[in-house]
Amino acid sequence: MLDTFQQIFVLFFVAAISENIVLSKFLGICPFMGVSKKLSSAYQMGLAVTFVMLFSSLVTWAINKFVLLPFDLEFLKIVSFILVIASSVQFLEMYLQKYFEGVYDAFGIYLPLITTNCAILGVALLNIQYNHGLFESIFYPIGSGIGFLIALILMAGIREKLELADLPRAFKGAPVALIVAGLLALAFTGLKTIIFT
Amino acid sequence: MIMEAIIFMVALALVLGIILAYASKRFEVKKSEIASKILAVLPGINCGACGYAGCEAYAKAIEKGAAIDLCIPGKQEVKDKIAAILAAEKNNNSQPSNDSVSDITKK
Repeated sequence: MLDTFQQIFVLFFVAAISENIVLSKFLGICPFMGVSKKLSSAYQMGLAVTFVMLFSSLVTWAINKFVLLPFDLEFLKIVSFILVIASSVQFLEMYLQKYFEGVYDAFGIYLPLITTNCAILGVALLNIQYNHGLFESIFYPIGSGIGFLIALILMAGIREKLELADLPRAFKGAPVALIVAGLLALAFTGLKTIIFT
Repeated sequence: MIMEAIIFMVALALVLGIILAYASKRFEVKKSEIASKILAVLPGINCGACGYAGCEAYAKAIEKGAAIDLCIPGKQEVKDKIAAILAAEKNNNSQPSNDSVSDITKK
């Protein structure tokens, strides 16, 4: 029992922090830069991405294991994965528009852009590349999503404070945000070398 | 190999299409008519030059009273079309109504 917990914790930690999907693997930068201006929309986007990641990773893992591999159709991976991801984002969009209209308006154009978010396709493909079983396919996407959420919250917190700072006019807005993103990524490289014995 | 690939992709698309069709009925949201009419005349390129998050957001904002000359790709043409739609709406609202209730109360 303890062993399973250990496994889950290590998987989580690696997915969320040591190999953070945004700051270490540099996937999913579009919503990272686009939705991180306010803390509230940042954590909502993080949760939406986590949900889509988990759902589409499970479905795509199942498709790969039960259809693509037995029938020797591995070359259809990318096409069919994108189809599944696009459909689940559409589903989420319709659900949000009906029940959470405030969130829907806050995301604006960035909600359908989750489809082209390479973090989602990246996690789905990495599940295959790392030969994850069902167990890991559940916790690795959740961990990556939480890592995405953490990166987004960090960025939003910093950017909200930067709005009030006294910056040279040339740096206000996007330029300083890009510099901050670079510094965050630099900080996270220090966490890459944590080894679990 | 090709046959199986085609069958698989068609089957996947069919299943997902059915799920989404069901979802679009279940999660239907009534759209405001004015906003839809304004959205139809906007360029639809979602450039964000107006300051809103895309053409749909700008259409909704105009309905709530935003300025109608903010669409830069649309230029004068779009501004005139929006003005026409808004004027038509105002005329519809201030016309004397023809229903039987007001006929009775007129007397």
